Amino acid sequence: MKVRNVIIILAILLIGVSAFAKTNKVVCSGSTTVLPIAQATAEAFMDKNPNVNISIRGGGSGVGIAALQNGTVHIANSSRPMKTKEMNQCRAKGIAPTAYAVALDGIAILTHKSNPVSNLTVKQLKAIYTGAIKNWKDLGGPNLPIVVISRDVASGTFEVFNEKALGGAKVISSALLLASNNAVVTSVADTPGAIGYAGLGYLGDGVKTVSVNNIVPSKATVQNDTYPLSRKLYMYTNGKAKGAVGSYIAFIQSPAGQKIVENEGFVALK
Amino acid sequence: MKRLIVLLCLGVMILPVMAHEIKLTGEMWNRWTLETGNAPAGENTILRNNLSLERGYLGLEPKFSDAVKGRFTVDIFSTDLVKDGAGLKIKYAYLDFSKLLPIPDMTTTIGLQKVYFGSIYDWDYTLIGKSPTDEYKFANSADYGLTLHGYIPKGWGEYALGLYNGEGYKNYGANLKNNIQPAFLANLRLIPVAGLTLGGSFMLNSSERSDSLSGLGGDNPKYNEQKLMDAYLSAAYGPLTLMGEYMMKDVTYPNDSAKDMSANCASVNAVLKLKTLVEKDIDFVVRYDRSDPTDSDKDENIVTAITGGVNYNFMHDDSSNPAMQLQLNYTNKSNSVKTTNDSSALMLQLKWRFNNTLKS
Repeated sequence: MKVRNVIIILAILLIGVSAFAKTNKVVCSGSTTVLPIAQATAEAFMDKNPNVNISIRGGGSGVGIAALQNGTVHIANSSRPMKTKEMNQCRAKGIAPTAYAVALDGIAILTHKSNPVSNLTVKQLKAIYTGAIKNWKDLGGPNLPIVVISRDVASGTFEVFNEKALGGAKVISSALLLASNNAVVTSVADTPGAIGYAGLGYLGDGVKTVSVNNIVPSKATVQNDTYPLSRKLYMYTNGKAKGAVGSYIAFIQSPAGQKIVENEGFVALK
Repeated sequence: MKRLIVLLCLGVMILPVMAHEIKLTGEMWNRWTLETGNAPAGENTILRNNLSLERGYLGLEPKFSDAVKGRFTVDIFSTDLVKDGAGLKIKYAYLDFSKLLPIPDMTTTIGLQKVYFGSIYDWDYTLIGKSPTDEYKFANSADYGLTLHGYIPKGWGEYALGLYNGEGYKNYGANLKNNIQPAFLANLRLIPVAGLTLGGSFMLNSSERSDSLSGLGGDNPKYNEQKLMDAYLSAAYGPLTLMGEYMMKDVTYPNDSAKDMSANCASVNAVLKLKTLVEKDIDFVVRYDRSDPTDSDKDENIVTAITGGVNYNFMHDDSSNPAMQLQLNYTNKSNSVKTTNDSSALMLQLKWRFNNTLKS
């Protein structure tokens, strides 16, 4: 076969792929923290754009980013910035990861409602999660063993908490590692000596939120970045988001989309 | 062998106790090979027609803290082609320290580990064959050593500096050369735009030792110094990935310059992934190698190998990584001078892998 024929066949294949990419089906996967935002905004977006079909899966930030690398999703939801290694792997495969901030969030520190401790410093959080402090009485609370609850290591929330609160230190081996924000909230609500953490969108009446370094996680303290455990939530696409994917992300960033973000308990972008 | 198995068992029992979490990994390659070529008498015939567990990797990857991780992998194979029918070697046994030096995204690795030369360290076996650096014996895939491996910010590439034994992980006993000089390695990969990777590797190695230990003293004529270089290019666009590599090796014998020699190899391959076009995850692969594996500069034989194949990937996980892969490859190998070595091989391989993370 002549070289010219090979080039023609390859060109036809690439054009075919480009045509296939212009579908109105949008596939997202990744962070369980971003999941409620993605679901609620997708419903509202599809109501206005019935020709667009958005499917959303969880799995964790790392799972979503790996799926973007493999070319099987249009959007990777992530509750943490992409790591340099992941960025490298994407670019080597011809994927140009582009980050879109879709919301702000604070990682709230949760205790049982009966616990009188109302503030913890980042230093105390590190001491609790690494096992240096094991009883609430050492923090001005009752004589009660601390039950440490954390997210599993595949979670972007864990990675942000681990970096911002623990400085990369190892979580005590007796910690209970749970796979979702909801599971953490439920376990803390059911356990008098428990401490856990979850995104602001997951808080409920069953748990108490303590301030960190005397700063309460709120819309204002997250937006002005004074709350020590504040973060951005992202959607990553391959290159600049176009077509239905671009329209969907633009909708989330619009005033209407940001209102949905707030309704879900998260903080709107500034 | 018994001692090794006992050590493996102890490792499996002890590591989970010490580690914060531990990942168990496994990968098996079940292969059927039909190879034809010339018999010693000269006539063309079937040289090989057998089933084998060509490769099996079992690994433990303990995470001791956010900054310290380990990897322990054994390489097993089982085939009736070898005397004992099976073999077992330790492929990796290393610790990664990600915060030993205050350089972001850099890891210090100590132990039996990857060799960051050419394509050998991230070859993903989309084709059944080995990476050209491995296939044509330019570098070992694993060796004992100390490396610094890091990523350039914003996904612009990666780099590695290494100090190795230089013997590789497979040599033992009489095969092990009496060598007292370490090997030095530098590797750089740059990704100036998404999809385009440019890279180069440089390695200084040696074999044997300069002086003789035979009791007579004097120079050892087998001592040689090796200079290895590799240029790497990869281009990925949509479903198509092209990869090219050129490597060369200069070997000098300071005590016997008549043995000086050089070798070189060029290899290109293309992978077309159809999973975005059709519902099934299918790849088409082609590869062309041209190698001058010269043992002596007087030998002018050039080996040419052409491979074509197809992969069917299935049983995907949440990240769309396949747990199973069925591969069919046909390779034709020809020689410019030693034509009696010409051969062709048809290989059908079922590869399956698993992993599970246990938390303490």
